[in-house]
Amino acid sequence: MVGPPNIDARSFVAAQDFILSVKTHWTTKLYTQLDQNAPIEEIKQTVDYQFFAWLERHLQRYKYSGRYGIHHFQNQFREEIIENFSDNDLLILDKELNLPDYYTAVDIHQHPGGLWSDDIAGTVYERGARSTTPLGAATHQDLHHRLTTIATSQYKPDKILDMACGFGKSTQPFYNAFPDANVIGIDLSAPCLKLAAYVAKQNQVKNVNYHQANAEKTPFKNEEFNLITSTMLLHELPPESIKAVFAEAHRVLAPGGKMTHLDFYLVPTKFGRFIHSGHSKRNNEPFMESFIKMDIKQILENQGFKNISIEPFEESDGTLTSDYKPWRFPWTVILAEKAI
Amino acid sequence: MQPTTIPEQQFFDDPALDRVFGVVMALATEVYVLRDRQRAIEKILANQGVIDLETLNAEPSDEERATNQLDRNEFVNHLMENLTGLQASKGLK
Repeated sequence: MVGPPNIDARSFVAAQDFILSVKTHWTTKLYTQLDQNAPIEEIKQTVDYQFFAWLERHLQRYKYSGRYGIHHFQNQFREEIIENFSDNDLLILDKELNLPDYYTAVDIHQHPGGLWSDDIAGTVYERGARSTTPLGAATHQDLHHRLTTIATSQYKPDKILDMACGFGKSTQPFYNAFPDANVIGIDLSAPCLKLAAYVAKQNQVKNVNYHQANAEKTPFKNEEFNLITSTMLLHELPPESIKAVFAEAHRVLAPGGKMTHLDFYLVPTKFGRFIHSGHSKRNNEPFMESFIKMDIKQILENQGFKNISIEPFEESDGTLTSDYKPWRFPWTVILAEKAI
Repeated sequence: MQPTTIPEQQFFDDPALDRVFGVVMALATEVYVLRDRQRAIEKILANQGVIDLETLNAEPSDEERATNQLDRNEFVNHLMENLTGLQASKGLK
Protein backbone atom coordinates (compact mmCIF):
# COMPACT_ATOMS: atom_id res chain seq x y z
CA MET A 1 0.00 0.00 0.00
CA VAL A 2 1.33 3.41 -0.92
CA GLY A 3 1.30 5.80 2.04
CA PRO A 4 0.76 9.56 1.98
CA PRO A 5 3.56 11.63 0.42
CA ASN A 6 6.39 12.81 2.65
CA ILE A 7 6.28 16.22 4.25
CA ASP A 8 9.46 18.28 4.17
CA ALA A 9 10.79 19.59 7.46
CA ARG A 10 10.13 23.27 6.65
CA SER A 11 6.47 22.68 5.85
CA PHE A 12 6.03 20.50 8.93
CA VAL A 13 7.57 23.10 11.22
CA ALA A 14 5.56 25.92 9.58
CA ALA A 15 2.31 24.01 10.10
CA GLN A 16 3.17 23.10 13.69
CA ASP A 17 4.19 26.71 14.41
CA PHE A 18 0.90 27.87 12.95
CA ILE A 19 -1.04 25.43 15.16
CA LEU A 20 0.90 26.60 18.22
CA SER A 21 0.21 30.25 17.36
CA VAL A 22 -3.51 29.51 17.08
CA LYS A 23 -3.30 27.67 20.43
CA THR A 24 -1.59 30.69 21.98
CA HIS A 25 -4.41 32.90 20.71
CA TRP A 26 -6.85 30.38 22.19
CA THR A 27 -4.98 30.49 25.54
CA THR A 28 -4.84 34.26 25.82
CA LYS A 29 -7.69 35.79 23.77
CA LEU A 30 -10.43 33.23 23.37
CA TYR A 31 -10.23 31.87 26.92
CA THR A 32 -10.34 35.32 28.47
CA GLN A 33 -13.44 36.15 26.41
CA LEU A 34 -15.43 33.52 28.35
CA ASP A 35 -17.56 34.97 31.15
CA GLN A 36 -16.22 33.12 34.19
CA ASN A 37 -19.06 34.37 36.39
CA ALA A 38 -21.93 33.22 34.18
CA PRO A 39 -23.86 30.02 34.95
CA ILE A 40 -22.19 27.01 33.30
CA GLU A 41 -25.26 26.20 31.20
CA GLU A 42 -25.19 29.74 29.80
CA ILE A 43 -21.47 29.56 29.03
CA LYS A 44 -22.01 26.34 27.10
CA GLN A 45 -24.45 28.10 24.77
CA THR A 46 -22.13 30.97 23.86
CA VAL A 47 -20.41 31.03 20.49
CA ASP A 48 -17.17 31.94 22.27
CA TYR A 49 -17.27 28.72 24.26
CA GLN A 50 -18.20 26.61 21.27
CA PHE A 51 -15.18 27.86 19.34
CA PHE A 52 -13.03 27.52 22.47
CA ALA A 53 -14.06 23.88 22.88
CA TRP A 54 -13.78 23.06 19.16
CA LEU A 55 -10.30 24.50 18.95
CA GLU A 56 -9.12 22.70 22.09
CA ARG A 57 -10.21 19.42 20.57
CA HIS A 58 -9.11 19.92 17.00
CA LEU A 59 -5.85 21.85 17.37
CA GLN A 60 -4.64 18.80 19.26
CA ARG A 61 -5.88 16.60 16.40
CA TYR A 62 -4.03 18.66 13.80
CA LYS A 63 -0.92 18.57 15.97
CA TYR A 64 -0.73 14.79 16.03
CA SER A 65 -2.75 13.53 13.06
CA GLY A 66 -3.15 14.18 9.37
CA ARG A 67 -0.89 15.60 6.69
CA TYR A 68 1.11 17.91 8.97
CA GLY A 69 0.69 15.86 12.13
CA ILE A 70 3.68 14.78 14.18
CA HIS A 71 2.92 11.12 13.61
CA HIS A 72 3.07 11.40 9.83
CA PHE A 73 6.25 13.47 9.95
CA GLN A 74 8.10 11.16 12.34
CA ASN A 75 6.89 8.08 10.50
CA GLN A 76 9.24 9.05 7.65
CA PHE A 77 12.17 8.37 9.98
CA ARG A 78 10.80 5.13 11.40
CA GLU A 79 13.75 2.91 10.45
CA GLU A 80 16.32 5.36 11.77
CA ILE A 81 14.41 5.79 15.05
CA ILE A 82 14.14 2.06 15.61
CA GLU A 83 17.82 1.59 14.74
CA ASN A 84 18.78 4.19 17.37
CA PHE A 85 16.80 2.31 19.98
CA SER A 86 18.47 -1.08 19.53
CA ASP A 87 20.42 -2.45 22.50
CA ASN A 88 20.75 -0.14 25.46
CA ASP A 89 22.12 -1.43 28.75
CA LEU A 90 20.36 1.37 30.65
CA LEU A 91 16.99 -0.16 29.77
CA ILE A 92 15.08 -3.17 31.11
CA LEU A 93 11.88 -3.99 29.25
CA ASP A 94 9.22 -6.37 30.55
CA LYS A 95 7.66 -8.20 27.63
CA GLU A 96 5.26 -9.98 29.99
CA LEU A 97 3.87 -6.76 31.44
CA ASN A 98 0.09 -6.51 31.12
CA LEU A 99 -0.88 -3.00 30.16
CA PRO A 100 -3.94 -1.86 32.16
CA ASP A 101 -7.23 -1.45 30.29
CA TYR A 102 -7.50 2.23 31.22
CA TYR A 103 -4.18 2.78 29.47
CA THR A 104 -5.08 1.12 26.19
CA ALA A 105 -8.82 1.97 25.97
CA VAL A 106 -8.29 5.48 24.57
CA ASP A 107 -5.53 7.16 22.60
CA ILE A 108 -4.36 9.46 25.35
CA HIS A 109 -3.72 13.12 24.34
CA GLN A 110 -5.23 12.20 20.94
CA HIS A 111 -1.89 10.59 20.19
CA PRO A 112 -2.73 8.09 17.40
CA GLY A 113 -2.19 4.58 18.72
CA GLY A 114 -1.54 5.90 22.24
CA LEU A 115 1.88 6.02 23.86
CA TRP A 116 2.44 2.31 23.76
CA SER A 117 1.40 0.60 20.51
CA ASP A 118 3.87 2.00 17.99
CA ASP A 119 7.69 1.82 18.00
CA ILE A 120 7.96 5.55 17.24
CA ALA A 121 5.42 6.65 19.90
CA GLY A 122 8.14 7.98 22.22
CA THR A 123 9.61 10.19 19.54
CA VAL A 124 6.16 11.40 18.51
CA TYR A 125 5.30 12.20 22.12
CA GLU A 126 8.60 14.02 22.71
CA ARG A 127 7.88 16.30 19.78
CA GLY A 128 4.32 16.88 20.96
CA ALA A 129 5.33 17.64 24.53
CA ARG A 130 7.47 20.56 23.37
CA SER A 131 4.26 22.55 22.92
CA THR A 132 1.98 21.17 25.65
CA THR A 133 1.69 24.57 27.32
CA PRO A 134 1.71 27.27 24.62
CA LEU A 135 2.94 30.11 26.81
CA GLY A 136 5.64 27.96 28.34
CA ALA A 137 6.70 26.22 25.15
CA ALA A 138 10.20 27.67 25.18
CA THR A 139 10.70 27.05 28.89
CA HIS A 140 8.69 23.90 29.52
CA GLN A 141 11.83 22.17 30.75
CA ASP A 142 11.95 24.82 33.44
CA LEU A 143 8.84 23.30 34.99
CA HIS A 144 10.70 20.04 35.67
CA HIS A 145 13.62 21.89 37.22
CA ARG A 146 11.23 23.78 39.49
CA LEU A 147 9.79 20.49 40.69
CA THR A 148 13.25 19.04 41.25
CA THR A 149 14.09 22.03 43.44
CA ILE A 150 10.92 21.61 45.50
CA ALA A 151 11.30 17.84 45.82
CA THR A 152 14.86 18.07 47.08
CA SER A 153 14.74 21.24 49.13
CA GLN A 154 17.07 20.73 52.12
CA TYR A 155 17.24 17.07 51.18
CA LYS A 156 19.77 15.01 49.30
CA PRO A 157 18.31 11.72 48.07
CA ASP A 158 20.61 8.89 47.05
CA LYS A 159 18.06 6.60 45.43
CA ILE A 160 15.24 8.12 43.40
CA LEU A 161 12.29 6.53 41.64
CA ASP A 162 10.58 8.58 38.92
CA MET A 163 7.18 7.02 38.31
CA ALA A 164 5.68 7.32 34.82
CA CYS A 165 8.85 8.95 33.56
CA GLY A 166 7.73 8.85 29.92
CA PHE A 167 10.63 9.68 27.60
CA GLY A 168 12.70 10.86 30.57
CA LYS A 169 12.07 14.58 30.55
CA SER A 170 11.07 14.56 34.21
CA THR A 171 13.95 12.23 35.17
CA GLN A 172 16.74 14.29 33.62
CA PRO A 173 16.80 17.13 36.18
CA PHE A 174 17.09 14.54 38.96
CA TYR A 175 19.97 12.57 37.49
CA ASN A 176 21.73 15.78 36.53
CA ALA A 177 21.23 17.46 39.91
CA PHE A 178 22.31 14.38 41.88
CA PRO A 179 25.13 12.68 39.96
CA ASP A 180 25.94 10.52 42.98
CA ALA A 181 22.35 9.28 43.34
CA ASN A 182 20.98 6.17 41.70
CA VAL A 183 17.95 7.22 39.66
CA ILE A 184 15.40 4.82 38.19
CA GLY A 185 12.63 5.82 35.83
CA ILE A 186 9.64 3.53 35.25
CA ASP A 187 6.85 3.72 32.71
CA LEU A 188 4.35 1.44 30.97
CA SER A 189 5.43 2.63 27.52
CA ALA A 190 8.31 0.71 25.96
CA PRO A 191 8.67 3.23 23.09
CA CYS A 192 8.95 6.13 25.55
CA LEU A 193 11.47 4.29 27.73
CA LYS A 194 13.58 3.48 24.69
CA LEU A 195 13.85 7.18 23.90
CA ALA A 196 14.62 8.01 27.55
CA ALA A 197 17.42 5.43 27.64
CA TYR A 198 18.73 6.55 24.23
CA VAL A 199 18.98 10.18 25.41
CA ALA A 200 20.74 9.15 28.63
CA LYS A 201 23.17 6.96 26.68
CA GLN A 202 23.91 9.73 24.18
CA ASN A 203 24.68 12.07 27.08
CA GLN A 204 26.86 9.43 28.75
CA VAL A 205 24.77 9.49 31.90
CA LYS A 206 25.96 6.89 34.40
CA ASN A 207 23.44 7.16 37.22
CA VAL A 208 20.10 6.35 35.60
CA ASN A 209 18.28 3.19 34.56
CA TYR A 210 14.89 2.79 32.98
CA HIS A 211 12.52 -0.11 33.70
CA GLN A 212 9.24 -0.95 32.05
CA ALA A 213 6.93 -1.31 35.03
CA ASN A 214 3.52 -0.35 36.37
CA ALA A 215 3.71 2.18 39.23
CA GLU A 216 0.91 0.26 40.95
CA LYS A 217 3.11 -2.81 41.29
CA THR A 218 6.83 -2.29 40.81
CA PRO A 219 9.59 -4.94 40.87
CA PHE A 220 11.52 -3.11 43.62
CA LYS A 221 12.25 -4.20 47.19
CA ASN A 222 10.63 -2.76 50.29
CA GLU A 223 12.11 0.54 51.47
CA GLU A 224 14.51 0.77 48.53
CA PHE A 225 14.14 4.47 47.71
CA ASN A 226 14.35 7.71 49.65
CA LEU A 227 12.65 9.88 47.03
CA ILE A 228 9.72 9.00 44.80
CA THR A 229 8.44 11.43 42.26
CA SER A 230 5.94 11.62 39.43
CA THR A 231 5.03 14.33 36.96
CA MET A 232 1.60 14.32 35.35
CA LEU A 233 0.86 10.71 36.27
CA LEU A 234 -2.04 10.78 38.73
CA HIS A 235 -4.57 12.55 36.51
CA GLU A 236 -4.32 9.73 33.97
CA LEU A 237 -5.34 7.08 36.53
CA PRO A 238 -8.70 5.82 37.78
CA PRO A 239 -9.14 6.36 41.55
CA GLU A 240 -8.33 2.78 42.57
CA SER A 241 -5.06 2.94 40.64
CA ILE A 242 -4.13 6.23 42.31
CA LYS A 243 -4.59 4.60 45.72
CA ALA A 244 -2.53 1.62 44.55
CA VAL A 245 0.28 3.91 43.37
CA PHE A 246 0.41 5.63 46.76
CA ALA A 247 0.42 2.27 48.53
CA GLU A 248 3.24 1.03 46.32
CA ALA A 249 5.19 4.24 46.91
CA HIS A 250 4.76 3.71 50.64
CA ARG A 251 6.06 0.16 50.33
CA VAL A 252 9.23 1.01 48.41
CA LEU A 253 10.02 4.20 50.34
CA ALA A 254 12.50 3.99 53.19
CA PRO A 255 11.29 5.37 56.53
CA GLY A 256 11.65 9.16 56.37
CA GLY A 257 11.66 9.02 52.58
CA LYS A 258 9.82 11.68 50.59
CA MET A 259 7.26 11.56 47.85
CA THR A 260 6.48 14.35 45.36
CA HIS A 261 3.78 14.34 42.70
CA LEU A 262 3.28 17.21 40.27
CA ASP A 263 -0.18 17.11 38.79
CA PHE A 264 -3.48 18.88 38.08
CA TYR A 265 -5.47 18.74 41.29
CA LEU A 266 -6.49 21.96 43.05
CA VAL A 267 -9.33 23.49 41.02
CA PRO A 268 -11.09 25.88 43.40
CA THR A 269 -13.75 27.44 41.15
CA LYS A 270 -16.84 26.04 39.47
CA PHE A 271 -15.74 27.62 36.19
CA GLY A 272 -12.29 26.05 36.58
CA ARG A 273 -13.81 22.61 37.14
CA PHE A 274 -16.04 23.06 34.09
CA ILE A 275 -13.05 23.94 31.88
CA HIS A 276 -10.97 21.14 33.39
CA SER A 277 -13.60 18.47 32.87
CA GLY A 278 -14.08 19.69 29.29
CA HIS A 279 -10.35 19.38 28.70
CA SER A 280 -10.47 15.85 30.09
CA LYS A 281 -12.98 14.75 27.48
CA ARG A 282 -11.56 16.77 24.61
CA ASN A 283 -7.98 15.61 25.16
CA ASN A 284 -8.81 11.92 25.69
CA GLU A 285 -7.81 11.89 29.36
CA PRO A 286 -10.92 10.47 31.03
CA PHE A 287 -9.82 10.43 34.68
CA MET A 288 -8.93 14.07 35.23
CA GLU A 289 -12.34 14.80 36.72
CA SER A 290 -12.44 11.85 39.13
CA PHE A 291 -8.94 12.71 40.35
CA ILE A 292 -9.80 16.28 41.40
CA LYS A 293 -12.78 14.94 43.38
CA MET A 294 -10.64 12.60 45.48
CA ASP A 295 -9.63 13.53 49.02
CA ILE A 296 -5.94 12.94 48.45
CA LYS A 297 -4.83 14.26 51.85
CA GLN A 298 -7.13 11.81 53.65
CA ILE A 299 -6.02 8.91 51.48
CA LEU A 300 -2.36 9.65 52.15
CA GLU A 301 -2.98 9.95 55.87
CA ASN A 302 -4.81 6.62 55.87
CA GLN A 303 -1.84 5.02 54.16
CA GLY A 304 0.57 6.24 56.82
CA PHE A 305 2.12 9.28 55.15
CA LYS A 306 3.09 12.30 57.26
CA ASN A 307 3.83 15.99 56.64
CA ILE A 308 1.41 16.08 53.74
CA SER A 309 1.32 19.29 51.75
CA ILE A 310 -0.87 20.01 48.72
CA GLU A 311 -0.19 23.42 47.20
CA PRO A 312 -0.60 25.27 43.89
CA PHE A 313 2.54 25.07 41.76
CA GLU A 314 3.95 28.08 39.91
CA GLU A 315 4.97 26.48 36.60
CA SER A 316 6.50 29.74 35.38
CA ASP A 317 6.95 33.16 36.96
CA GLY A 318 3.75 35.03 37.78
CA THR A 319 1.20 32.35 36.92
CA LEU A 320 -0.21 32.24 40.47
CA THR A 321 -0.85 35.98 40.72
CA SER A 322 -4.46 37.18 40.64
CA ASP A 323 -3.86 39.28 37.53
CA TYR A 324 -2.69 36.30 35.47
CA LYS A 325 -5.61 35.67 33.11
CA PRO A 326 -4.64 33.20 30.35
CA TRP A 327 -5.72 29.55 30.41
CA ARG A 328 -3.39 27.28 32.37
CA PHE A 329 -3.42 23.84 33.89
CA PRO A 330 -4.26 23.73 37.63
CA TRP A 331 -0.71 22.73 38.52
CA THR A 332 -0.45 21.31 42.03
CA VAL A 333 2.42 19.78 43.94
CA ILE A 334 1.66 17.02 46.42
CA LEU A 335 4.36 16.33 49.01
CA ALA A 336 4.37 13.63 51.69
CA GLU A 337 6.79 11.65 53.81
CA LYS A 338 6.86 8.11 55.08
CA ALA A 339 6.94 8.09 58.85
CA ILE A 340 10.21 7.08 60.51
CA MET B 1 -2.73 5.26 11.31
CA GLN B 2 -6.27 4.57 10.14
CA PRO B 3 -9.04 6.82 11.49
CA THR B 4 -11.43 5.24 13.97
CA THR B 5 -15.15 4.61 13.44
CA ILE B 6 -16.02 6.63 16.56
CA PRO B 7 -18.16 9.72 15.81
CA GLU B 8 -16.28 12.97 16.50
CA GLN B 9 -17.38 15.13 19.46
CA GLN B 10 -19.78 17.96 18.56
CA PHE B 11 -19.29 21.53 19.78
CA PHE B 12 -21.57 23.70 17.63
CA ASP B 13 -25.37 23.59 17.53
CA ASP B 14 -25.16 22.52 13.89
CA PRO B 15 -22.76 19.60 13.38
CA ALA B 16 -22.10 20.87 9.85
CA LEU B 17 -20.31 23.84 11.39
CA ASP B 18 -18.04 21.49 13.32
CA ARG B 19 -16.98 19.90 10.07
CA VAL B 20 -16.76 23.00 7.91
CA PHE B 21 -14.64 24.80 10.49
CA GLY B 22 -12.28 21.84 10.29
CA VAL B 23 -11.97 22.45 6.56
CA VAL B 24 -11.34 26.16 7.19
CA MET B 25 -8.58 25.47 9.69
CA ALA B 26 -6.98 22.88 7.41
CA LEU B 27 -6.96 25.45 4.59
CA ALA B 28 -5.57 28.11 6.93
CA THR B 29 -2.71 25.75 7.78
CA GLU B 30 -2.00 25.23 4.07
CA VAL B 31 -2.03 29.01 3.50
CA TYR B 32 0.50 29.51 6.26
CA VAL B 33 2.72 26.69 4.99
CA LEU B 34 2.70 28.25 1.52
CA ARG B 35 3.35 31.72 2.91
CA ASP B 36 6.29 30.41 4.89
CA ARG B 37 7.68 28.67 1.82
CA GLN B 38 7.23 31.70 -0.41
CA ARG B 39 9.09 33.94 2.02
CA ALA B 40 11.90 31.38 2.22
CA ILE B 41 12.16 31.26 -1.59
CA GLU B 42 12.16 35.05 -1.81
CA LYS B 43 14.94 35.24 0.74
CA ILE B 44 17.08 32.71 -1.11
CA LEU B 45 16.50 34.43 -4.45
CA ALA B 46 17.27 37.85 -2.97
CA ASN B 47 20.48 36.54 -1.39
CA GLN B 48 21.52 35.19 -4.79
CA GLY B 49 20.72 38.54 -6.42
CA VAL B 50 17.97 37.05 -8.60
CA ILE B 51 15.23 39.34 -7.26
CA ASP B 52 15.16 42.72 -5.59
CA LEU B 53 13.06 42.42 -2.41
CA GLU B 54 12.69 46.16 -2.05
CA THR B 55 11.04 46.40 -5.47
CA LEU B 56 8.88 43.37 -4.70
CA ASN B 57 7.68 44.85 -1.41
CA ALA B 58 7.06 48.37 -2.73
CA GLU B 59 3.48 49.65 -3.09
CA PRO B 60 2.27 48.74 -6.60
CA SER B 61 1.66 51.57 -9.02
CA ASP B 62 -1.87 52.58 -10.05
CA GLU B 63 -1.08 51.16 -13.46
CA GLU B 64 -0.16 47.75 -12.05
CA ARG B 65 -3.24 47.69 -9.86
CA ALA B 66 -5.44 48.56 -12.82
CA THR B 67 -3.80 45.82 -14.85
CA ASN B 68 -4.58 43.33 -12.11
CA GLN B 69 -8.15 44.48 -11.60
CA LEU B 70 -9.75 42.11 -14.09
CA ASP B 71 -8.01 39.13 -12.56
CA ARG B 72 -8.93 40.35 -9.07
CA ASN B 73 -12.57 40.76 -10.03
CA GLU B 74 -12.66 37.26 -11.46
CA PHE B 75 -11.13 35.91 -8.28
CA VAL B 76 -13.72 37.70 -6.12
CA ASN B 77 -16.55 36.61 -8.38
CA HIS B 78 -15.47 32.97 -8.21
CA LEU B 79 -15.37 33.24 -4.43
CA MET B 80 -18.64 35.10 -3.86
CA GLU B 81 -20.91 33.62 -6.50
CA ASN B 82 -21.39 30.70 -4.14
CA LEU B 83 -23.54 32.99 -1.99
CA THR B 84 -26.21 33.57 -4.66
CA GLY B 85 -27.80 30.23 -3.98
CA LEU B 86 -28.69 29.92 -7.66
CA GLN B 87 -28.09 27.07 -10.08
CA ALA B 88 -25.29 27.66 -12.59
CA SER B 89 -26.96 25.43 -15.14
CA LYS B 90 -30.63 24.75 -15.53
CA GLY B 91 -31.62 21.72 -13.50
CA LEU B 92 -34.12 20.25 -11.06
CA LYS B 93 -35.28 22.34 -8.10
